[in-house]
Amino acid sequence: MSATPTAPATPVTAPAPEWRRLSPRTLLVHCGWLVAPLGSLLLTALATGGRITTGAWFTLGGIGAAFALATLAGLVRWARTEFRVTGENLEVRSGLLTRRLRSVPLRRVRTVDLTASPVHRLLGVTVLRAGTAGSGLRAGELSLEALPVAEAERLRAELLARADLGAATEDPVLARISWRWLRYAPLTFWVVGGVFAAGGSAYRALHEMGIEPWKLGFVRRAFAEFGNGMLWLTVPAALLAVIALGSVGAVVLYVENWWGYRLEWSDAATLRVRRGLLTTRSVTIERARLRGVVLREPLLLRAGGGATVRAVAGGLGNKEENRKRSGLLPPAPRREAVRVAAGTLRAPFPDPGSELTERQDGVRLTAHPRAALRRRRVRGLLYGVLPGTALAAGLGAAFTPVLLHVAWGYAVVAAPVALWLARDAYRSLGHGIAGEHLVLRSGTFSRDTVALRRDAVAAWTFRTSPFTRRAGLVTLTAAVAAGEEAYRVRDLGAGAAPGFAAAATPGILDEFLVRPERGGDPASVT
Amino acid sequence: MGEHAAPLLRPPRHRVDPRARSWWRAQALLAVSGPLVLTAVALGALSALFFPGALPWLGPLLLVVLVLPAVGYLLVMPRMRYAVHAWELGEKAVYAAGGWCWQQRRIAPLSRVQTVDTVRGPVQRRFGLATVTVTTASTAGDIKIAGLSEADAEELSRRIGEATQDVPGDAT
Repeated sequence: MSATPTAPATPVTAPAPEWRRLSPRTLLVHCGWLVAPLGSLLLTALATGGRITTGAWFTLGGIGAAFALATLAGLVRWARTEFRVTGENLEVRSGLLTRRLRSVPLRRVRTVDLTASPVHRLLGVTVLRAGTAGSGLRAGELSLEALPVAEAERLRAELLARADLGAATEDPVLARISWRWLRYAPLTFWVVGGVFAAGGSAYRALHEMGIEPWKLGFVRRAFAEFGNGMLWLTVPAALLAVIALGSVGAVVLYVENWWGYRLEWSDAATLRVRRGLLTTRSVTIERARLRGVVLREPLLLRAGGGATVRAVAGGLGNKEENRKRSGLLPPAPRREAVRVAAGTLRAPFPDPGSELTERQDGVRLTAHPRAALRRRRVRGLLYGVLPGTALAAGLGAAFTPVLLHVAWGYAVVAAPVALWLARDAYRSLGHGIAGEHLVLRSGTFSRDTVALRRDAVAAWTFRTSPFTRRAGLVTLTAAVAAGEEAYRVRDLGAGAAPGFAAAATPGILDEFLVRPERGGDPASVT
Repeated sequence: MGEHAAPLLRPPRHRVDPRARSWWRAQALLAVSGPLVLTAVALGALSALFFPGALPWLGPLLLVVLVLPAVGYLLVMPRMRYAVHAWELGEKAVYAAGGWCWQQRRIAPLSRVQTVDTVRGPVQRRFGLATVTVTTASTAGDIKIAGLSEADAEELSRRIGEATQDVPGDAT
């Protein structure tokens, strides 16, 4: 609606443009809140055959009132919210009694996301979020809920206009969804956990509506039969059923999350991820705020030869939002993940290689001292094996000798597992420098390879505990104003850590370093 | 591993104010040792009044579990902290060391410094001390120097302010 027909990119000191309103269809979105209470009323009526108890009426009345209030608040917010884009600022005016004007300089805008829930999509509107510099808790964020899709796209272009629209790369699209990747969807521990979580919330929902699942006839019958049947057959069968159900759930979630997935450089300076079936998400990351990438290989996914990729970028919101929005690639083949990571960095991804892929242009990471392996073994035995064994043995000594057998059985099974995990964790450990990037790798449950821009390090921390001091180890942390904020190199040799940090970020540490003379006593240097 | 002997990180040059020991002692007394000893005394008194039979085993137990750790903490923590805590303002970076059992040394380049805060807590003020916090854009990169004398703190925050003016930086 802005009236600038000619001279597109010249900042003219024209009179400030008019205030714009959000889409009136937003009101319908807010009315969407009413669907929940009405739906649950309907469900209750169905489940109880039309007889609704007074208690249920009260609950529903309470919920209804709360949602009505939310709707009313939405109406007020819509009526009182206006925005405009002046030459330099995005301005948003809002508030019923206290009028608030937030003004964000356009050159501070780092990311612009469009998100649409199913209700939004039904109405053809979308929520626009503009993230600014600073990260984590210090991030400022403006969200406009909601705009017609076309207008939102236009506004996004307007907000990101100052990014130089120079020559885009040869192929701006880094990756598209391939449904063959679906085979990686069930490779997560959530396959089992998710079923129980879903079961729990379903039970609670029924309970809230006054239905006790335990009293339903078919549930009781099923349990009675389960108990009477042969346990050595029914227990594995139930487990298989849970895994099958969980796998289906994982696949469904994968499809919901990654439908229409597309990762591209929308211009030379902005990376964009689009995805989602019911809720479509579109995350834009400005290149200047992209500090690196993480190649994640959770244990099961790694066993299946897969990996995911995340961005280390500022301006994506607090930690939880960052976790949700930083995903660049769904679980996919490792080779694909490495390719996407390289395309994101616009440099070869310093892949230290894995057991499953042949090492090509990989960098060699420096391994950590053997003391780090010892620490991992001790910790595995201490936290993984000892508590269970001691508990079973203690109870066994007090009550029944059967538990004593359980205790040694557990110890015999758990100890090799813990030692294997410790060895795997140790073999994952590594650090190095590759071109413009630091490379840090650690983790066994999720082996994360982090490639971090060297110039992004805002501080170095050397941390020791009484145990690591005795073992001659130190944990080095690179603080970055992006992603998880702190990236750790755990259990580095105490002698190697300062040298590594100094080599990674020249100039910062040098004045605090001493070089022990060869063969001499380090203490003699002052 | 390399041909050169690996460089080592030396501790920061300046120790914190000696009064910081008293401050840490007061803190320990107020937050940890005092409550622990009071709990032990209360439990002992209750037991003496109502269950005199329990004293022979409860007394030593309280001594070992509550009183000795409290006294140990009070004696050891301030001393160890004073040995560890130190700071230095270099030409290009701020450097601080802290902690006692778990120790940390943190270095942040001046080009990344965003703000310098000086805070004086109620207990600190009694000892004429202050804490200087240097923040960077990353929440994991804040440098905290606790236990400076008020004059030192003011001087330090002024000097960091000046130094950041001289060093070109993006502070992002």
